[in-house]
Amino acid sequence: MKMTSIALTLAIALTGAAPALAHHSFAAQYDANKPVRLVGKLSKLEWTNPHSYFYLEVTGKDGKVTTWGCEGANPGALSRRGFKKGDLKLGDVLTVDGYLAKSGARLIDARRITLTGGRTIFGGSAGDGGPGDTAAGG
Amino acid sequence: MSILWAISHWLYETPFAVGIRESDWAFSMIETVHVLGLGLMAGTIAIVDFRLLGLVFRRQPVSRVLAQVLPATWIGFVVMAVSGGLLFVASAEKLLHWVFGAKVALLALAGLNPLIFHTTVYRHVEGWDLEAEVPLQARIAAVTSLVLWSAIIVLGRAVAYVE
Repeated sequence: MKMTSIALTLAIALTGAAPALAHHSFAAQYDANKPVRLVGKLSKLEWTNPHSYFYLEVTGKDGKVTTWGCEGANPGALSRRGFKKGDLKLGDVLTVDGYLAKSGARLIDARRITLTGGRTIFGGSAGDGGPGDTAAGG
Repeated sequence: MSILWAISHWLYETPFAVGIRESDWAFSMIETVHVLGLGLMAGTIAIVDFRLLGLVFRRQPVSRVLAQVLPATWIGFVVMAVSGGLLFVASAEKLLHWVFGAKVALLALAGLNPLIFHTTVYRHVEGWDLEAEVPLQARIAAVTSLVLWSAIIVLGRAVAYVE
């Protein structure tokens, strides 16, 4: 019954909102009619399952710097495309083409990531039904 | 909230959690095992619930149906709990939201339900073991179990869609 008491404690204590952990299809969160290109400095990298996140510091037209989250595929999918965590370091300037989140948050679905050296990687989750998805599965 | 946040953040940053989270294969394997374990557990529980509701094995004693599936239920439970624990650790600080909270709360209720069942109406099972129609309290326990496990599975899947 230790499990139960831990579970109850957790359940009672959980009230606030927190960052999302999402594993989902493209359409669940992103709008295919709102393509966007972000260019910015990599400020944080979450090389995580079930999706990875690249955070970019993007300078707007007004000179203001905002942080954007770019959601990509899971580490296994990225590494099968020849993309390793070590290929990136904080401060690298990346160009990310993707689609805006439906929620209006500073979050995009990263379909194509262009590294500092010009190398391009498909960043999306295979089989998620998003634009440019040609894979049959994950 | 802040203590819970601190604990989950600490868990999240342990090398073990990072290893699972950043793995090429382990995370998806554990997810798969979690679903298999849950299927075994919830599936065998449903067999007992259906017997209590008189939907299957009506001529079989309730106690015999229960005894036959119970080992599989326990194996499913262990597999589900261990894999679920690993998935939780790997994502701990990102699970502090109401969907996961609700799932955990329902898991606690789903644990309480058979506890009540076994310490009350089931103690006198020899009186109704062979009945197709079992006492109301036992039928309520069966419906409760089916509803709770269905809701837990729905919430588990919904965790992926929390904004």
